[in-house]
Amino acid sequence: MTGPSVILPRIPPGLRLAFATATLAAVWLVVLPSIGRHPAVARHVRLMESRDVNPAAMVYTELEHLPLRPAWIERYLVLWPAGN
Amino acid sequence: MATDPGADLPRRGFHEDFAAILIGVALVTLALAIGWSTRPTEDAGSRKAFPKGWPNRLSATIDKPQTWSDAPQQALVVVDKKDKTKVKPVSIPILLGMTWVVGILAAGTLLRGRSLAAVLPGACFLALLGGLAYLMAAQKVINYYNLEYPLWALLVGLVIGNTIGVPKWLEAALQGEFLIKTGLVVFGAEVLFSRLLELGLPGLLTSWVVTPIVLVVTYLFGVHWLKIPSKSLCMVIAADMSVCGVSAAIATGAACKAKKEELSLAIGLSLLFTVAMMVVMPPFIQWAGIDPIVGGAWLGGTIDATGAVVAAGEMLGKNLDDKRPAEVAATVKMIQNSMIGIIAFAVAVYWAGWVDRDAAGPKTSLVAEAWRRFPKFILGFIGTSIVCSWLFTMSPELALLVDGAIQGFTSRLRGWLFCVGFICMGLQTNFRELAPTLASGRPLILYCLGQALNLVLSLAMASLTFGWLFRQGVTP
Repeated sequence: MTGPSVILPRIPPGLRLAFATATLAAVWLVVLPSIGRHPAVARHVRLMESRDVNPAAMVYTELEHLPLRPAWIERYLVLWPAGN
Repeated sequence: MATDPGADLPRRGFHEDFAAILIGVALVTLALAIGWSTRPTEDAGSRKAFPKGWPNRLSATIDKPQTWSDAPQQALVVVDKKDKTKVKPVSIPILLGMTWVVGILAAGTLLRGRSLAAVLPGACFLALLGGLAYLMAAQKVINYYNLEYPLWALLVGLVIGNTIGVPKWLEAALQGEFLIKTGLVVFGAEVLFSRLLELGLPGLLTSWVVTPIVLVVTYLFGVHWLKIPSKSLCMVIAADMSVCGVSAAIATGAACKAKKEELSLAIGLSLLFTVAMMVVMPPFIQWAGIDPIVGGAWLGGTIDATGAVVAAGEMLGKNLDDKRPAEVAATVKMIQNSMIGIIAFAVAVYWAGWVDRDAAGPKTSLVAEAWRRFPKFILGFIGTSIVCSWLFTMSPELALLVDGAIQGFTSRLRGWLFCVGFICMGLQTNFRELAPTLASGRPLILYCLGQALNLVLSLAMASLTFGWLFRQGVTP
């Protein structure tokens, strides 16, 4: 087994993993849901959901709606018309 | 990126880059072939009938956990947006998504002439960890504030790597570099040069003039003024800040062979600044009285991540009930997305020809030396991009075929490959190597100064193009 890259000699490795896992579980199962209920955060989430926005999209292909040819740009089209 | 464990073992198979190209091209071809074989008989060329392209049957074989708020099991079903009582389970496609990753790792192992038995247990474990990272990223607060899955994949890997270390039975499966290279070849299908032709001159000017200037100036600033010892770190930071965040960092990081720690650092910086800019910029634009269309273009040119750009654009237009700021922002960002291929190729050529060139080595021609060092998988990335771009321009039907293959299969598969690739990177990352550079604060200074330049130039160009030169074109 390759040793951990950060040496914390007093705590056994299994215990360290259990502690880290418990911390992450507490953050994801308790802290984040409670943050999500905060009015400002809940409002942001509702706005994004109502507009079908996926803020976590890494590139445009992951967006809920492909930003294909907004109507205002029609006059600049180079390829075939969009309305077919 | 640094070499995977076992890369120096004797092999009879293909080089890692060629294995990535073979598998990536085969997967894109499979998606296109399946899409073509089940093409619709009516309205096949209608974007209105098929807004996300032709349905692709491979979409049933891959998915990721859905967003959840209170209980993680909510991630295993899709709730219909119109009728909340209708739910569709996605646990099978999620499991199949993991199976694709295991299959690709197995195929890569065989192509590279290594032992399959040594890889399979670790591959299954990594795929499960990938599912866990996706589940963490799907929590609504995380998801709607754009903290993308690579961050959580790195975290999962780091937690294991820095607590119990990497078990022996997992070592052979730690092929993060191979997974990311294969993911990039598949990703090439999404980088459609032809989209540039569709999106109009204002967006093109806003993103194509500013982005290369910011990229080059930031890189040179980091190397020559801040004197950051690693040129690849400067390049990855410059690319993720000036182009489009994580995806650009991955592509350029692979092109300039950045270390895992450098890529992790650049991605962490990018995501933290993305969240801050997504929240701060829309109210600032409104407060400063900047025209919403110009503001949308500014958001698109400066915020790193695509989803965050659209989210910020929506926030900008919410009081006006106006979709145009988000559309302008998304358009500018999409053009930047389309630049990844060209920038990764240019970086790979520059690195192979000039940065990595060994002055004390045997005298060979620049071209021969550059070719020897060139990361060959970039050719697969560019190749799939050119072929899909060409198909996209051939006819409306083929454009819908390409969109369907991307939306239904390749973008999801690419996500899984990157996710598991980042888990491997997290497991192998040793931040102590970066400690002196981190302690100096220079990467943060580089990011801040580069982003400041980006903000100024993008606002100037957005005002020029969307505010003045093409103003009539964006006014209803």
